[in-house]
Amino acid sequence: MTLTGVEAGERAGNVGIDLDHISKRFGDHVVLDDVSLHVAPGTVTALIGPSGAGKSTFLRCINLLERPDSGTIRVAGHTIEPGKEIRSRDLAALRSTVGMVFQSFNLFPHMSVLDNISFPQQNVLKRTKSEANDRSMQLLERVGLPEKADQFPTRCSGGQQQRIAIARALALDPSIMLFDEPTSAIDPEIGLEVLAVMRELAAEGMTMIVVTHEMQFARDVSDTLVVMADCRIIERGNPREIMSEPTQARTRQFLRAVLER
Amino acid sequence: MDPVTAVLRGVPMTLYLTFGAFVIGAIGGVPLALALRSGTWPVRAISRLVVDFVRGVPIIVWLFVLKFGLAGEGIRFTPLTAGVIGLGLVSAAYLAEIYRGGLQTVPIGQLEAANALGLSRSVTFRRVIAPQAFRIVSPSVATYLMGLLKDSSIASTIIVGEIVFQAQSYARQHPTAVGIIPYVVAGLFYIVLSIPVAYFSRKLDRRMREEIY
Repeated sequence: MTLTGVEAGERAGNVGIDLDHISKRFGDHVVLDDVSLHVAPGTVTALIGPSGAGKSTFLRCINLLERPDSGTIRVAGHTIEPGKEIRSRDLAALRSTVGMVFQSFNLFPHMSVLDNISFPQQNVLKRTKSEANDRSMQLLERVGLPEKADQFPTRCSGGQQQRIAIARALALDPSIMLFDEPTSAIDPEIGLEVLAVMRELAAEGMTMIVVTHEMQFARDVSDTLVVMADCRIIERGNPREIMSEPTQARTRQFLRAVLER
Repeated sequence: MDPVTAVLRGVPMTLYLTFGAFVIGAIGGVPLALALRSGTWPVRAISRLVVDFVRGVPIIVWLFVLKFGLAGEGIRFTPLTAGVIGLGLVSAAYLAEIYRGGLQTVPIGQLEAANALGLSRSVTFRRVIAPQAFRIVSPSVATYLMGLLKDSSIASTIIVGEIVFQAQSYARQHPTAVGIIPYVVAGLFYIVLSIPVAYFSRKLDRRMREEIY
């Protein structure tokens, strides 16, 4: 394919993602009401807002873990309209471009830490076992856990498991990373080690979309702050400006609640 | 001939029936369990009907239908074949239900992680979901296997020469001996045969538990 050069560039972290008019309902219950988000390559977008606002659902719609009823997703030269039939080629491209980290880590408990990171590489990228293991060890070094390679995930702390989950996602060379409240299930103190890995990743130019309640992280690391409430985006822009001078009353109310805790 | 030697002659048949039926059930239960969890409701409804129907009819009825009921249709099974198929059919239904329960315990996050990583459906099932479900169901499967070992004695009714059949014919041929003895011997054989199953099942379970938890 002639796209190889472009794809090589994309791997360096130059891929953005455009989501237009995403709507989703569960039965009669609307969870996303015409949400659009354009994420520029190499930027960090923080998604904040009260529970039930639709933040996590929106994030899960981006890689189609949740299937929107309507809207358009454009990523890496593929256009996907979830309301219509999705071609498996497009779905595979989406999933290989976008990596995801979950609140509850979701490591595979029956595999060693090394296998957790290597096994998807062998299956999805068709790397040999030794290629995959080399890459896994490299990533474990990077998240500071090379000594955990042969252990089972349940022997690791929450913070360690989340760093391993980040390594597992990175091992597939994604261009975009989604984080769904990555520190919410972890002790606040231990969450710092996860945030440190994420800061590093952002500094390296990874395109990131992060649903979070970590306001300081959102303010310091994100390029764009997006506030969601009642199934829509109510405010977006520079994180410092929004945090100091929110234009929406709903944003003000939410920020007061989280910041004055 | 003494009763021990006589009943011993039934052991290979009992083992053949048990393991033959178990293999059929263990394999056949997988697609049935998946059908029970299918997202398409007609598939779910039909498989539910099949499982409940097969489980609802006593094993002895299945064996008679297979051995004698189908003869009129030109389908003739040997007693052993009818026994293995009948017990295998019932095992598939029971094991499907056990598997379904096991699959249900695997957290949805495991499936989501596999999807997000871009693993195919079959890889997700074989490498992520099934191994975790297996850990959950292995004690129940072993318990079922021990039950099946004893239920295989029902095949004596369609003249399969297994343990109970041998005990019966010994008792019939030796009216002077104390009638209960061959049956006590048969009981002892069942105990001896089920000990290794129980032992290995516990060992397997313990090993898997140590790995994960």
